[in-house]
Amino acid sequence: MSLRRENLRLAYRSLQAAKARSFLTMLGIVIGVTAVILVVCIGQGVKQQIANTLGRYGKDVFVVQPGQSHGGGGFFTGMAGASSSLLTQQDLRTVQKASGVASVAPLSTASGSMTGDYTVASPFIIATTPDFADIVQQHMLSGGFFEQSDDGKAVVLGMSVAQKLFNDSSAVGQTLAWRGRQLMVAGVFDDFKAPPLSVEANFNNAVFVPYDMAQKATGNPLGIYQILAKTQSKGGSAKTLGAVDTALVTAHGGARDAIVAPASSAQSASDQTIHLLTLLVAGAAIIALIVGGVGIMDVMLVSVTERMYEIGLRKAIGATNHQIMRQFVVEAFVLSAWGAFIGLLLSCITVGLLRAYTSLQPVLIWQALLFAPLIAVSVGMFFGSMPALKAARKDPIEALRHD
Amino acid sequence: MALIELKDVSKLYGFGDATNVALDEVSLTIEQGECVAVMGPSGSGKSTLMNIIGLLDHPTHGDYHLGDKKVSRLGTNQRAKARRDKIGFIFQSFNLLPRLTAIDNVALPLLYKGMSQGKRMKKAWDMLERVGLGDRAYYYPRQLSGGQKQSVAIARALVNEPQLIIADEPTGNLDSNSSRLVMELLSEIHKTGNTVIFVTHNPELTRFATRVVYMQDGTIKHDEQTRLGEVGRYARAVMYAVPETTEEDDLAGVSLLMNVLDKRAEAPKAGKRAARPKAKKAAPKRKKVAK
Repeated sequence: MSLRRENLRLAYRSLQAAKARSFLTMLGIVIGVTAVILVVCIGQGVKQQIANTLGRYGKDVFVVQPGQSHGGGGFFTGMAGASSSLLTQQDLRTVQKASGVASVAPLSTASGSMTGDYTVASPFIIATTPDFADIVQQHMLSGGFFEQSDDGKAVVLGMSVAQKLFNDSSAVGQTLAWRGRQLMVAGVFDDFKAPPLSVEANFNNAVFVPYDMAQKATGNPLGIYQILAKTQSKGGSAKTLGAVDTALVTAHGGARDAIVAPASSAQSASDQTIHLLTLLVAGAAIIALIVGGVGIMDVMLVSVTERMYEIGLRKAIGATNHQIMRQFVVEAFVLSAWGAFIGLLLSCITVGLLRAYTSLQPVLIWQALLFAPLIAVSVGMFFGSMPALKAARKDPIEALRHD
Repeated sequence: MALIELKDVSKLYGFGDATNVALDEVSLTIEQGECVAVMGPSGSGKSTLMNIIGLLDHPTHGDYHLGDKKVSRLGTNQRAKARRDKIGFIFQSFNLLPRLTAIDNVALPLLYKGMSQGKRMKKAWDMLERVGLGDRAYYYPRQLSGGQKQSVAIARALVNEPQLIIADEPTGNLDSNSSRLVMELLSEIHKTGNTVIFVTHNPELTRFATRVVYMQDGTIKHDEQTRLGEVGRYARAVMYAVPETTEEDDLAGVSLLMNVLDKRAEAPKAGKRAARPKAKKAAPKRKKVAK
């Protein structure tokens, strides 16, 4: 045991004696480790960010939106359809009555400035029904979603708009003025991790108002740009969607002018994207690992070759191969381990800085944090000691000439 | 029992047409307590002989007994241990590790013996004191003069208390003052009972030897016993043959030396006395190289 401590001490001494060389060797390892960890963490972060953007609804949620079905039209492409023709309350009832449908919620937009503590001139107002909360399953920051029993006076705010209307103070329980009506804030949604693709349609910017009240306030029937619905069975059967489709076609006199699609159709597309991203991250990580490994290898090989003379001399004065090997293994270990540790630290700091100051949201992956240093240390030790062994096997005079 | 016994030892470098014979079936026996000076022109195989005796190199053919052990076919680790325990090697170019202090350099062989840190330092310190460098223990080699570096190297060679000290042109890179210092150290070591073998180009230095071996073309040309303090007879011939010391003169001197030795080789039976005036004729402007 004391022998090992002695070895460590000697390794430190010898590394200290050759500061520049040790530093450069270590730098190679630091860069290798940092590169691998950063590539993996940034890649994983981007993957998660994209996954969040693509959104996730339950498998039992489906959407109905106006427009012709053109192939695999996704969930959000329907936003464009909102401009053409809209669905009506009649359609809403048709969907609700179709067999297998558990609940429905219309999504309509309304206009008009809103005033809380501050005024927002043109908020993004979504008129819907209390079932919305059940279908979307979004966590509330405070308060709750409005209920049927609220007399149509309660509204719910998205996180960003709550900030705009009431600044920092708690919005729940405050009153809002809209089209001459006094409304009360019932709750504020937590951050919608899955916003629709345009900034306006971001639910974080939306004020959710009761559909019936909005219809009365605006004075004309509100067109519905999308119906969110939930099936009774958890699985979200194709049968229910078929029934809804048939019911709508019948109601529209044979014209198929509405699309019924599972919300998860968007999800399967995003699954594919995420799968590809996972492959991309893995590929990049492997390349980074190889590049880092080769870098470490180079540096180690060069530093050992540089020390041929030293190996020859140590042998000449009586070091056995075993002793030479032990010296180089311990030195390579100390260097690689410190390099890996610094690389680890550096990449954690960089990840923190990236999170704080850029729109990238890299995440620390424990596998990367574990394996990158491990591999760096093994590569470093292997290439730090193999050439030393080769040198040690020669006659010392050969190694001595090697200066 | 002889300390060193070489029997028909050859060393070849390269192979095929490019084979170079560095040592050609050399046989040499050295007894415990001798102080042997090895002389000869460059490329005559002196250093190769030293390296083989010092176990830094292995012979291509032939047997080598060191003490009671046959070492010519030992494995690398056995050889390393033999070097460590029995042999102290002093190089022309000092061969200190530049990044270690003098005392660490001296203590290095002890490290490989497995001695504890405290003991190592104590012993290395004593050894440095002995070569007169106690006050330079924590200097790095670059901060020492040539003579001091060689003294550190000598301390390193001595620290394991080896039976045999081998010095390959220990004064080759030193001025005459430092040379004398180094040689005095070596002769002191010899007086304490060690066997010393050293290579030199300077005939004057054979004064420190009890035996002088001349080499040429990988073989031993001549081998004579001398008394301490006396220049070997062959060496004297060589010495008088070597003129003053510009580089051109040196080169001329080398060829002159070859001439002399060749003539000796041609007529060994004609008697050494007869040969001597010839050498004088060959170098009419003879001078002493050093005192």
